[in-house]
Amino acid sequence: MKKSEKKFNIFPKIVNTLLPVLLAFLIGAIIIAAIGENPLTVYRIMLGKSLFTAKGLSNTLHYASPLLLTGLAIAITFKANIFNMGVEGQLLLGGFFSGLVGASLQIGSPVLHKIICMAVGMLFGVLFALVPALLKAFYHVDEMVVTLTLNYAMIKILEYLSSGPFREDGSGYVCTPTIKETAMFSRLGNSKLTLFFFIALGVLILMAFVMRKTKLGYEVTAIGKNPEFSEATGMRVRRKIIVLMCISGALAGLAGSGQMMSEAFKYTLTFSGTTGLGWDGMLIALLGRHTPGGILLAAVFYSGLKTGADNINMYTSVPKEIVGVLQGLIILFLAVRFFNEKYGFTERYKMWRESRRVTE
Amino acid sequence: MNFLGNILYDSVYHATPILLCVLGGIFAYKANVLNIALEGMMLAGAFVSMLVSYLTGNIALGYLAAIAVCLLIGLIFSFMTVTYKGNVIVVGLAINMVVPAIAGFVLQYMESANIRLTWKDVSDFKIHIPVIDKIPILGDILSGHTPITYLSFIGIFFIWLLMYRTKFGIYVRVVGENEDAARNLGLNTNKYRYLAILLGAFCCSLAGINLALERMVLFTNNMTAGRGFIAIAAIYCGQGDPVSSALYAIVFGAARALAVNMGLYAGPAAALFDVIPYVVMGIVLTIVSMLKYRNQKVRGFH
Repeated sequence: MKKSEKKFNIFPKIVNTLLPVLLAFLIGAIIIAAIGENPLTVYRIMLGKSLFTAKGLSNTLHYASPLLLTGLAIAITFKANIFNMGVEGQLLLGGFFSGLVGASLQIGSPVLHKIICMAVGMLFGVLFALVPALLKAFYHVDEMVVTLTLNYAMIKILEYLSSGPFREDGSGYVCTPTIKETAMFSRLGNSKLTLFFFIALGVLILMAFVMRKTKLGYEVTAIGKNPEFSEATGMRVRRKIIVLMCISGALAGLAGSGQMMSEAFKYTLTFSGTTGLGWDGMLIALLGRHTPGGILLAAVFYSGLKTGADNINMYTSVPKEIVGVLQGLIILFLAVRFFNEKYGFTERYKMWRESRRVTE
Repeated sequence: MNFLGNILYDSVYHATPILLCVLGGIFAYKANVLNIALEGMMLAGAFVSMLVSYLTGNIALGYLAAIAVCLLIGLIFSFMTVTYKGNVIVVGLAINMVVPAIAGFVLQYMESANIRLTWKDVSDFKIHIPVIDKIPILGDILSGHTPITYLSFIGIFFIWLLMYRTKFGIYVRVVGENEDAARNLGLNTNKYRYLAILLGAFCCSLAGINLALERMVLFTNNMTAGRGFIAIAAIYCGQGDPVSSALYAIVFGAARALAVNMGLYAGPAAALFDVIPYVVMGIVLTIVSMLKYRNQKVRGFH
């Protein structure tokens, strides 16, 4: 009985996830056509190379690694109905400090050096997430407003630190010193893929286990559905909120240090790209419907979109900001459930016919 | 002008866009729809007003287009959240992401980093009040601002009037406090939600016009820099009351004015002073929240 119910529900779920993407691409196509380019060729260039060639796909997976982590960071808090919008700031802070440690520490062992860098990144991510977490848990301060505004403060602070005290002397633009070779993840084969992707994948599997099989995972869902009831049944909601925000911050910090050690190698003002890895995480969490498998698929898809955007800049006159537009539109349409997921299509059709019969 | 005069003038100057966003957001807050899209709507107002003025060479058209586009965004927002019951926060954030992306797309297509009007000067928009202009401190506060600045401060009174002295205000509050009761009264709850959101969109478009066209005659992407979120913090602090929320908006404006003026003397560390408004916001929000829950004796987390 239960199984058949589940089967009923899966189809509308897929439609509800795919329809927003299609709608966003449709509107994107109108915009592209408006500036006089053929949308179909643009989309083919955008997705074809990055998802359907071996080299392109490995690059796509490489760029998907931090996105996996930021997607997880957002999903785990969204699920508990907490809105950690500070993932972007936590990622920048984690990346910045792991970059500093990577550049200044002299450690012979490459493994140890990498572990220290990642630990520092996670630590600073946690520290930054702890501020809104404590305010929320003890003083009921809205965590969303605090994290959203603290992002701006963090960007300003890091701008100051990287252009003032920690600036690399003699470079033409604002950046911190390049990290030591012992802290860099080396490329595997001739693709851009590094060990960091597999670390991110490992974290994803670990978090999938935590969300599905542990007490914490159950409590997260319960708090998301009804915090008062959870408190009444004896869960320590206050403590769980702090723990969740810390996990979220740690994931964001890890994403930042991974980006630093496998891609950027130094902190620049465009460290997290045009739309921002933290913001991308939100799209990925929503598109992946807060499930680990969905997050993996969404991260690869979106990363393909982003790497493909560099290609369209090369071959067409369409600005690569189109990806930002698509991203926002997908999120906008994802907010709405086009089809009721409680009932399958056939059931709904039957119900509709029943209601017709009654009125007739 | 002296240092104090500068700070006072700048407080009014920086408070205006936040104040307008607060006035716009209050009704949505009271109707129980948290409008996070204030930031995106403000940026849309700024962008469209500059773009249309730049393309047509007509400021009035820029004003009208900005208001029209913001109302359209407000309509999309209410359609997605009220009619289709989408997640308010997700829709709001999506609008906050779409607007700068489109602005960036257009700027990139125009191959320019900003939009500026060469034929218009900032001082064209300033209104100097004849007599008050000469009084030392009062003149700094009251004179030499743009039309929308004056409008926003007069707006506090009108919004207060609208909220507490008209049927519309009462209905919006009823819809927010108890939807079932409102429905039983025969009110079309969705209509009042739509109107509340559209009123917010209108105010945000004015904030955007003030920010870009009137104050600087310049548009750069993401120039709103979190002012919409600070406005939401002000609404939270004032709990949706027009007068007290407006006061918090002015406090945040003063924090920014202080930061800007102190930054002038700070030399290389000036960037750090930019952090002040955001930190002040966090502290004020915490204090207000602490005072609110101080006397709560209920066990546990609510």
